[in-house]
Amino acid sequence: MTYMAIPNIGNYTIALATAVESLGIKAWASTATTPAALKLGIDAAPESVCLPLKAHLGHFIEADRAGVEYAFMVNSVGTCRLRYYRHMIGQILKDLGLKIKIFGLGFDGFKPPIVRHFDPGPITFIKPLFHTVQKIKAIDELEVAAWRTRAIEITHGDTTQAMNKLLVELSESRTMAQTRAIRKKAAACFAAIPVDKEKKPLKVGLVGEISFLRDKCLNKNIEYILGSQGIELRNFFLLGEELQNITRIVFLNQSRRKSLSKLADRYLQNSVGGHALDSVAYSIRCADEGYDGMIHLCPSGCMPEVSIRPILKRVSKDKDIPILEISYDEHTCGVGIATRLEAFADVLMERRKKNNSPAQRGKRAGHG
Amino acid sequence: MIMIKRPDESAGAYTGAGNRFLRNISPGWMWKSGTSSCSSLRIGIPRMFFYYIYPGLWEAFFGELGMKPIVSRPSTTKTVEKASQISETEHCLPNKLFDAHLAELVGKVDMVFVPRVLSTIKNHLSCPKFGPLPDAARADIARGTEVLSIDIDVSRIPLSNTLLLLGKKLNIQKGKTLSAINSSFSAMESAHKKMARPNRIKGSPRFLLIGHPYVIHDNFIAGPILNKLESMGVEAKLISFADNTPAKSYILWSTANKIYHELNTLSGEDYDGVIQLTVFNCGCDSMMIDTYRQLMKDKSIPYMYLMVDEHLAQSGIDTRVEAFIDSLRWRQ
Repeated sequence: MTYMAIPNIGNYTIALATAVESLGIKAWASTATTPAALKLGIDAAPESVCLPLKAHLGHFIEADRAGVEYAFMVNSVGTCRLRYYRHMIGQILKDLGLKIKIFGLGFDGFKPPIVRHFDPGPITFIKPLFHTVQKIKAIDELEVAAWRTRAIEITHGDTTQAMNKLLVELSESRTMAQTRAIRKKAAACFAAIPVDKEKKPLKVGLVGEISFLRDKCLNKNIEYILGSQGIELRNFFLLGEELQNITRIVFLNQSRRKSLSKLADRYLQNSVGGHALDSVAYSIRCADEGYDGMIHLCPSGCMPEVSIRPILKRVSKDKDIPILEISYDEHTCGVGIATRLEAFADVLMERRKKNNSPAQRGKRAGHG
Repeated sequence: MIMIKRPDESAGAYTGAGNRFLRNISPGWMWKSGTSSCSSLRIGIPRMFFYYIYPGLWEAFFGELGMKPIVSRPSTTKTVEKASQISETEHCLPNKLFDAHLAELVGKVDMVFVPRVLSTIKNHLSCPKFGPLPDAARADIARGTEVLSIDIDVSRIPLSNTLLLLGKKLNIQKGKTLSAINSSFSAMESAHKKMARPNRIKGSPRFLLIGHPYVIHDNFIAGPILNKLESMGVEAKLISFADNTPAKSYILWSTANKIYHELNTLSGEDYDGVIQLTVFNCGCDSMMIDTYRQLMKDKSIPYMYLMVDEHLAQSGIDTRVEAFIDSLRWRQ
């Protein structure tokens, strides 16, 4: 069996693994970068490149050691360093003397090189792609349900357990019918978790760089830490939404991007690159929707995300919403992150109490 | 006819221990307390990024339009101190310096000029940090002042048309803007020539200095290194960005592509070595340095890179430059 290593993008790797089957081969991936892979990447990469590159590089080195022949890396058409990832990773792997071959998604003619190389039949090619879409939808639903339930669960750890069980089932699902059944079952599974319905959890939005929004190893499991402190999350990277956005740009209109730039217009009049515009626009939207706070994640020195931080600070002041900015590098420790998040949660809780006190409420009404 | 006037020849004294020929590049357009009675609009230009990317252009353009361009002073240790106090901690060094330059102008001028440089060469891109530059200025440091901004996207609109739009934005007659564009372009040309000029020493070894235009011409970042090279009797040529037509390659960042091609066409007879100046936390350079190094290794031209951060110390630079030059001399 031929294997292909694919980059880790959190739980969505399960769906991408199905997409790889369309080439008639199997995927070699995990839902989070392993610390061992990260270490390999850090040793091999230039010191000042951003952490996602080191994570991907380490992942591919590990794949090569496991005997995988091919790898796949996403292309970007943006302005930031992601655009050069594939070239650079390929170069470094070549310098290390590894034989793994990296494909991108580029078109040069009718078929992309990756399809031409494996040359699957039309039915083998199309069917898994539809299945992938199903799986992405299923994972989107699981994620959304988990953020809600984890904040109000009575027995600590119930949601994570249910989520993991469903994800394992999803990764083992081979047919569309199975995936559909899992989607139906998921709602019941989450509904069965005993929750405290009286509780009004704090609401926090997560924005920033996508590897850090998704990869549990890189972001030190931030979703779990926040959820177990009773905070309802909204992570602004859902792959389903993102794919819809991309296909819309290609085929029909730029409606979502347009609405985002309209939202952020007062603060940022350019899309910058990466997910910088999204970070600003969603921070504004969350402030308007009455979220208690925002968390902005990015690797240390990320070009687009760091350059908009002065703007985020202004949004935070103008809209009166606390924004916690966390930068990750290879020395970031999970305990340090947990401490900061706990402190942030305490601040948000105190703020809510203060804002809900009768005196404050009167003051707010007076301001109109 | 170029209408730039030097308000004060002694302006160069601000640079302190700066490099002699860096001072010559940039005529000191500085704010003087006595001249505020002038009715014309004072427009502030931070001496960073776009000031070095389009050298001489902005002063000439705004001067010709009847405004009073005021350029912030060349960066010194004091600028860096200020920068580390007011700027975002994770910015690259030039971006921090930019914030300090901006802060210096705010309050002294009626308007600050911060364009959004999206691309300077057709089908190329600029650093993504330039994208939110005017917005970041409005949000934070230049909050009290009006920020004049325009999108410079040469991939879509040529520079001259962008300048026409800028004139329209300022409510200035088209004829006047056109003549201003012409004279400012010739001013930029002469400034480019001045910038590319090597230091006066003719000697050996001969070096090529590469890096972003706003890095190799900045007084704080490049000054100590150029001083050291000069005092060691080394001839150094700075890479020129006047010719804006590099061939296409996989690199889309315009400066990085320009440097890549310069190194690609370099032969060992022209130069004895290449010194790259880079700054801490520069995203473009972090991706490109390995490529440059490999290129130079293939051609067996000695290559060294010096990374500058806020804590730049002359002695550290001295040691590294001396060691590099000594080893080259022994090789000969």
